[in-house]
Amino acid sequence: MNTVRIWFSKRGEASYISLLDLQRVMGRAIKRSGVPAWYTQGFNPHIYLTFACPLPLGQESLVESVDFKTEEEHPDYEAWAEDLRRVMPAGILVNRLCPAAHKAEEIAWSRYQVHYPAGMAARAAEQYNALPQALVEKKSKRGVKTLDLKQYIPEIQVQKEGDQDCFELLLPAGVSFTVNPALLTGFFEKEYGLKSSDAHILRTQLLNEKMEKFE
Amino acid sequence: MFEPALREALANVQKPGRYTGGEPGCVYKDKEKVDLRFAFCFPDTYEVGMSFLGEKILYEILNQRENWWCERVFMPWLDMKAEMERLKIPLYALESKDPLTAFDVVGFTLQYELSYTTILAMLDLSGIPFYAKDRDESWPLIVAGGPCVCNAEPLADFFDMMMLGEGEEQLPQVCATIEQAKKEGVDKQELLRRLSRIQGCYVPSFYEVSYQPDGRIQAITPREGAPAVVHKAIIKDMNKLPLPTHFIVPMIGAIHDRAQVEVLRGCVRGCRFCQAGFLYRPMRERNAEMLDKAAHDLCDNTGYEEVSLHSLSTSDHSQLEQVLDRMNEWMPKEHVSISLPSLRIDNFSESLIEKTTKIRKSGLTFAPEAGTQRLRDVINKNITWEEIEKTCSLAFRDGYTSVKLYFMMGLPTETMEDIEGIAETAQKIVDLFYANPDKPKGKSVQVTISVACFVPKPHTPFQFVPQDTEESLKAKQQHLLHSVHSRKIRVNYHDSSTSFLEAVFAKGDRRLAPVMVAAYRKGCYLDSWSDCFHYDRWMETFREFGIDTAFYANRFIGLDEITPWSHLDYGVSHEFLVREYKKALEAKTTRPCNRQCSGCGANLLLGGPCFEYSQDLVQ
Repeated sequence: MNTVRIWFSKRGEASYISLLDLQRVMGRAIKRSGVPAWYTQGFNPHIYLTFACPLPLGQESLVESVDFKTEEEHPDYEAWAEDLRRVMPAGILVNRLCPAAHKAEEIAWSRYQVHYPAGMAARAAEQYNALPQALVEKKSKRGVKTLDLKQYIPEIQVQKEGDQDCFELLLPAGVSFTVNPALLTGFFEKEYGLKSSDAHILRTQLLNEKMEKFE
Repeated sequence: MFEPALREALANVQKPGRYTGGEPGCVYKDKEKVDLRFAFCFPDTYEVGMSFLGEKILYEILNQRENWWCERVFMPWLDMKAEMERLKIPLYALESKDPLTAFDVVGFTLQYELSYTTILAMLDLSGIPFYAKDRDESWPLIVAGGPCVCNAEPLADFFDMMMLGEGEEQLPQVCATIEQAKKEGVDKQELLRRLSRIQGCYVPSFYEVSYQPDGRIQAITPREGAPAVVHKAIIKDMNKLPLPTHFIVPMIGAIHDRAQVEVLRGCVRGCRFCQAGFLYRPMRERNAEMLDKAAHDLCDNTGYEEVSLHSLSTSDHSQLEQVLDRMNEWMPKEHVSISLPSLRIDNFSESLIEKTTKIRKSGLTFAPEAGTQRLRDVINKNITWEEIEKTCSLAFRDGYTSVKLYFMMGLPTETMEDIEGIAETAQKIVDLFYANPDKPKGKSVQVTISVACFVPKPHTPFQFVPQDTEESLKAKQQHLLHSVHSRKIRVNYHDSSTSFLEAVFAKGDRRLAPVMVAAYRKGCYLDSWSDCFHYDRWMETFREFGIDTAFYANRFIGLDEITPWSHLDYGVSHEFLVREYKKALEAKTTRPCNRQCSGCGANLLLGGPCFEYSQDLVQ
């Protein structure tokens, strides 16, 4: 049994598909593509899917991954990628298929690009950089915790990119602890009046403990 | 892709995936290159609308034309509606995100009376005037189709044109006429005149309705050369009509999120309460080969793992076993299961159970509709207790442990004895389970009875009868609850106030239009959702307009009275409806169409007999 990893981008319309829905969407897409995925053998057979690091609703990503199993001993990754491309919904772009090298649990960090309309983020970042601390509430299943964003984002460097303000973030993203970039855009909204919905958040990289690329 | 305002709205609502489009199977075209844009509007939420087979059929047919683009529009849920109003986002189609005003034709499907004011809400969100007379050529043509068109007179003033009957051939004809008119630059009146010459196309403004002093209709007079009676459009040969095989696959769960294959259209049974049974006459089947291929293609194209064999009465298909045999060849290895939603209790055979449960076993659902044999004969639901007994025994022996039964209350001639009969039927099924020596060990049985309030509908033999009053229905519901003595029986019943409103609109006339506008202004829309249903506001509005709701819902309609739908013809003659009504009062049954023709008149639509009567199709 081989585990195959699909690397895909999740953009535009697809950024509004929740994880729960994405499981169904992917399962059906794989079935439509004709790629020989392995089905669970239980009462309710289905394609067994594992998403490495689910993305919050409304954010975009270039580096999403989902694993499925196959009994095929020599998967033709190129051909399967092509088959999958034909059947994906708008906004899900299959980048490549490969053997699952690392385990999903190894993911520790994620890199993001945040875009705001020009002129909006620079001043907010300046104010943010001058703060001694930036407290936000982080909600999880275990309850609400207060977290100091400055611990994770000490400074923001805004660059102008055409008609947009852009900056990068590197944040913890793992099984045990994740900092959602929306905490920062939420902080910007609350403190400086920048609408969260004006922020485009794009995940660009997944990294392990040692800051190596997750493959 | 998304405008900033739309992004903001989507960030603030539940399930934004309902408002984004982009699902697998949806069609995007270059709007500069199309000659006709059609907005297919479903006046309910995405989850409900995406379950609707008719939209999938017509979406595929229209989009097959390279130069036409059909897109989808649904009613946003309350949170999204509020955001759209706050951010001044007009209602848009999911594919192009363009407002409805950018379309040539805006078509609504009328599936249910309680969706009527949702249409007003959708027009309002688009900034489109409600009344047809207030819209000139600069507005899209607002049209309607679907079963409720059989008497959508309460909505007649809002629509430019309505389509009676089956849309697969008619709608492309309509679109071609509109495309041509657009090229020629003809005015709206001329376009409507041309449309009124297409079979089943009804232009309400071409008919004048006058009333008698007591409120009944005096006359319905055609103008502008429109036909005195509009005859529905029909597909004569279902085997020549390809099935849709490219459904849009919703990404957030629709209510019916599975492959649907329409095995037959119409119904041979002639249940006297059932509007669909009369509107879709005569019954026409598709052959086994065609159905099997469509089901297979559909699963391949969508990735669905469940196929439902769809129709008003699937077990009446003369080749059903063959269909199932063919499908069972490929389904198990492709991990596809099958569901048969509309089975008759009287021809549910052992092999049918076996063929449908190769993969998974779910509950059984049947509809005896009435609790006593006498009342079942009145409504012409030709099933007996012996048949119910046989089917349930079969199912229990096969390992089923739950049975759901549908009933109605408020049927013509009904007494409290008939209500007790509902409870007795359920109790006898519970007893049957325990009498079965092979029953699954350690398992208990669950019989659920779901009781709806009967709504007399136009074009049925019961169109003449008054609806039971709310007081009487409530008393019957209480009596039923008191008649059930087992915890194995669960009783669900419907709110009688929604059924009452449904009756008012089902048999309503054009005088109800301003009431609907006023009720909408008070916040009445999405009425079929219990948290949005404001009965008091509706009743208040009727009072303000001096409308007696009982005139529509609770009055006996004379057998020779002109009804609001007298000029709309579905192929079934008035004489037949009267004959059936009289037989009902005597509790006399009528045989199914495929056993004996009872002369309803619908065979004229096909130009010959509906069946070869030498065949014995019904077991």
